[in-house]
Amino acid sequence: MSELLKVSNVTKRFGGLVAVDNVSFSIREGETVGFIGPNGAGKSTVVNLLSGYLKVDAGEIEMDGTRITKMKPYERTHLGLSRTYQIPRPFPELTTLMSVITSVLCGKRRINQSFEDAAVEATQYLEFVGLFSKRNILARDLTFYELRMLELARALATTPRLLLIDEVMAGLNPAEAKRAVDMVVRAKEQFGPTIFWIEHVMAIIVDAAERIIAINYGQMIADGTPDEVINNEAVIEAYLGKGWREYA
Amino acid sequence: MVDIEIKRDRIVIRYKGKKWDWMIEPRYWRNAIVWTCVLFVFPLVAYFVSPGLINTMVTANIYAAIAIPLSLMTVGTGRINFGPNFYVGVGGYTAALLSIYCGWGPLTTLPFAVILSVFAAVIFSPLVIVARGLYYVLLTLLLPLLFLEVTFIYTGIFKGDVGLFGVDLLVQFENVKLNFIMAAYISTGIMLLYLLIVNKVLKSRYGLIMATVNDDEEVAHGIGVNINKVKILSFVCAAGMIGVMGWFLAHYFGTFAGITYLPLTFMLKILLVFMVGGRAQVFGCVAGGYFIAFLEMILIRTMGQFQPVAFPIILLILLFVLPSGEGLFGIYRKRHYREYLPTIHVRR
Repeated sequence: MSELLKVSNVTKRFGGLVAVDNVSFSIREGETVGFIGPNGAGKSTVVNLLSGYLKVDAGEIEMDGTRITKMKPYERTHLGLSRTYQIPRPFPELTTLMSVITSVLCGKRRINQSFEDAAVEATQYLEFVGLFSKRNILARDLTFYELRMLELARALATTPRLLLIDEVMAGLNPAEAKRAVDMVVRAKEQFGPTIFWIEHVMAIIVDAAERIIAINYGQMIADGTPDEVINNEAVIEAYLGKGWREYA
Repeated sequence: MVDIEIKRDRIVIRYKGKKWDWMIEPRYWRNAIVWTCVLFVFPLVAYFVSPGLINTMVTANIYAAIAIPLSLMTVGTGRINFGPNFYVGVGGYTAALLSIYCGWGPLTTLPFAVILSVFAAVIFSPLVIVARGLYYVLLTLLLPLLFLEVTFIYTGIFKGDVGLFGVDLLVQFENVKLNFIMAAYISTGIMLLYLLIVNKVLKSRYGLIMATVNDDEEVAHGIGVNINKVKILSFVCAAGMIGVMGWFLAHYFGTFAGITYLPLTFMLKILLVFMVGGRAQVFGCVAGGYFIAFLEMILIRTMGQFQPVAFPIILLILLFVLPSGEGLFGIYRKRHYREYLPTIHVRR
């Protein structure tokens, strides 16, 4: 597998606070990489740096050999990098179908695609996430689970090579959370994006990820297979706690 | 090259790897045809019944033709511009000055009025990127007022207090009433052209992209929308369209005075058209324009000196009574549900 994303010595400061401190890692094409850490560790900041919402203070980010450190978010999306949000951010005044059509139209460039072609393609993503019957409902009228699914459909519709998922289970009940996780796994099988997945529920991420990266206070403390990471002393100390398996 | 293919229900246009489907739907043309006919028959009827109504119709068309691009600007930038009359001033003064000092006719001054309005919009376009909310409102509100001050300071050029006289007229028949009728048709033509263009743009992929910018700029950026390009383009194009109305005013009246179009009173009328018709609803702008122009005329004829007080009070009451943000057109759309929410019936 070739290297898809390479993060080298990335640092981000907010005033005097160092939110991300000299972090380096790489993601290979086709991998599912889990990203864990306690609250305030800098996970979402890393996702914001990767997707271009925040500017990097020091370090480099490369995607498939192209430096994207100074690229704007829309340019990164055109290269094949897409994301979902921890708290769903729909376009409230647009219908579900229209939201996904925009992603199809504005994501990775397609040749000879009209608005109507984009509408047909968008329905495939809506069918995949189970929202086809709600295609003409305004996004503001969807339930929280449906909003999560809309976010996923919108991200998939940009045809990403790398999909950044920020806590897909947050705010969902156990049954919905299970369906959401299954959906992410199926999305990977069907559309084949590489996945970089922030998650707090260890049982899920250990099963789904092939590799896990852990950070604490903005610094990387572990990078390895799920087994290696959950047995890492620093990870247990900073995040999991000694008796974590009983509660996982 | 451009490849055009005509199919049963659509025209397919292909150019450089891009494709546009132009749906042909005659079943939806009835209302458009009926209303266009009404607008074109109205001046003829008014000619025999009450010629003053033609002038009111021109005023309504001017209000609507300024509010329609303002809708495009509002949707595309996600911000309400409180100084659309600035571009009326730029277009109007360009046309008037060129006509008076160079002796140019309306057709010659038109491209310059558009170019200058677009140029002014390009200069001030960074506002849509750096300012939002109250700051944007204040900055755009200040532009026409500053321009008004400039017209007073350089009164030798702009004739700030009295305005420029002697601008070539749009049409010059010997029969004055005929001039009014022609002006009514030209203003209706411009208004309908704006309606067609803006409605087509807002219903196309570009309109959808503008709607995402309007809803959440950050997320739109994240799904691949170049938000700065969308905002600047919609700002500049709309400003150019508004500038044309300045050109029209200068050549319609044969005079142009900043004191008439740049102060808050004119701006408030445009914003009221925009709100009463239905916020950022292109068809609502026409409804609002006609409603406000005719209401103003009726109040002047019936209430005389109380009109300046009654007019804003009635409009304020309307703003409270009408469905929020939906205006007069919102009432119509709720009763005719077909396109109240944007829907697409996917053929599979």
